[in-house]
Amino acid sequence: MNILRSEFLKLISVRTTWLLLGAMILIEGTVAGLLAGLGEKKDLRPANVPDLLIGTPLSILFVFTLGALISTNEFRHGTANSTFLITPKRERVIAAKLVVGFVVGLVAALEYVAVNAGLGLSILSSRDVTVNSDQAVDIYVGVGIGFILICLFGVALGAVVRNQVAAIVGGLALFLALRGTLTLFIGDEVGRYFPAESLLGLQGNPKGKALLLDQVDGGLVLAGYCLLLTVAGMIVTRKREIT
Amino acid sequence: MPELTVERLVKRYGQTLAVDDLSFAVDSGVVTGFLGPNGSGKSTTMRALLGLVQPTSGSALVLGKPFSELTHPVRTVGASLDAKDVHPGRSGRSHLRTLAAAAGLPSSRVDEVLDMTELTPAQDRRVKGYSMGMRQRLALAAALLGDPRILMLDEPANGLDPQGMRWLRDILRALAAEGRAVLISSHVLSEVEQTVDEVVVIGAGRLVMQGSLADLVTRDQRPSLVRSPRASELRELLESAGASVSNDGRPDTLLVQDATMEQIGTLAAEHGIALFELTRSVTTLEDRFLELTGEGGHVR
Repeated sequence: MNILRSEFLKLISVRTTWLLLGAMILIEGTVAGLLAGLGEKKDLRPANVPDLLIGTPLSILFVFTLGALISTNEFRHGTANSTFLITPKRERVIAAKLVVGFVVGLVAALEYVAVNAGLGLSILSSRDVTVNSDQAVDIYVGVGIGFILICLFGVALGAVVRNQVAAIVGGLALFLALRGTLTLFIGDEVGRYFPAESLLGLQGNPKGKALLLDQVDGGLVLAGYCLLLTVAGMIVTRKREIT
Repeated sequence: MPELTVERLVKRYGQTLAVDDLSFAVDSGVVTGFLGPNGSGKSTTMRALLGLVQPTSGSALVLGKPFSELTHPVRTVGASLDAKDVHPGRSGRSHLRTLAAAAGLPSSRVDEVLDMTELTPAQDRRVKGYSMGMRQRLALAAALLGDPRILMLDEPANGLDPQGMRWLRDILRALAAEGRAVLISSHVLSEVEQTVDEVVVIGAGRLVMQGSLADLVTRDQRPSLVRSPRASELRELLESAGASVSNDGRPDTLLVQDATMEQIGTLAAEHGIALFELTRSVTTLEDRFLELTGEGGHVR
């Protein structure tokens, strides 16, 4: 509990946390409002609504970045020395950081739903655009869980790759570059298990792609990646020389 | 039992031998200076004691145990390895609160160490606005959070002005007087000279000497300087008496070893030789250190 309290204090005591969470609200609100409010109503088909509900990938990137910062800030600013002196059992530190990552992801999820539903859906409703409520709930739950898993992904990746730039760029490469690039050569059958594709599946397959995992399987695969990275992060951190 | 024990410590990073069969011990109640040029292995040794790096062979123990086996690490050892080890976006108080929370210490302890290090007026300022002296104080405050019996500070005087160094000297001596073991590393010898009681000198990862500061600063090993108008005559007399004599570059000046000043003065008086100068040069810590470790600067 002591370590957990310390990790939360570390998170809330720096401006970057609030800036990133605030930027998410701004971007989500702007995009949701613009998408829902602009454009001809006749062009807004039911198939487009999920896109509105899922919002912008930028939020995913922000949440991932926050997760990576939770881990990599220790090495970026040298606080790893004092952190591991106070808590020589380093796995406890990683575990506490993961709990913090979970909470950050949850806050991001609630923030997203509040803005997207509060602004986007209400604008659509005012324009008499029908939204399937069951579909909306499925998507919101999928996107929300996605935020949590992506934040955990960032924390775990940051524990493996202590360099802040490498962790963030590496994570972005995993999600942005792998996506679409390798699947051209490997095909959708295998490609749907990649991190970005499994996230799309978890979100509810917004583009209606034929070969994506369903939400449950997408979530499990993404959680599997988080678990693998967590195990790797704990092993690496325990053995790592703090120089 | 010594508070800190390093025994045949070897640490290798790839091809580089950072610490080479180093052994020494640190006791409580004294300030021990851990001295060596940059790159001599001081920081590596401290990190090995703190469990941050693993020895290649040998041991580095705290109260006879590896750091990871200490029951209450924060209350046993307080350490500062680099005054820059703090998130610049946090205030001094926030930084200490995160450490105190992890250690299970109350917020009131944060107030105490801020007061001890005279940082209370600046506690709510972001660390990026701190001077180097303030950062050093914050690092010491962090090390003191657990009220530890052992303090290990790596280059604590770096960047301090004379006033700051005096403050550091006073507080370290006070902490040692309370019975704590205080180990400070430095490559800047003038600041250490007035602070430490014991010294451990290393060079190229190896122990060069360990002992009291007085042992390091010797008087009798340096030659006497003698200036006389009849220097060459005096030289012959001294060499006949068994002394080693050399010139210091000036025709009327001799450097004499293996003879006391009393012997030199008596010999000159017996032969009616006037002496214009007869002095014993005092070795400073700087001279002795350079002598022991080679010319100053980086070892590697």
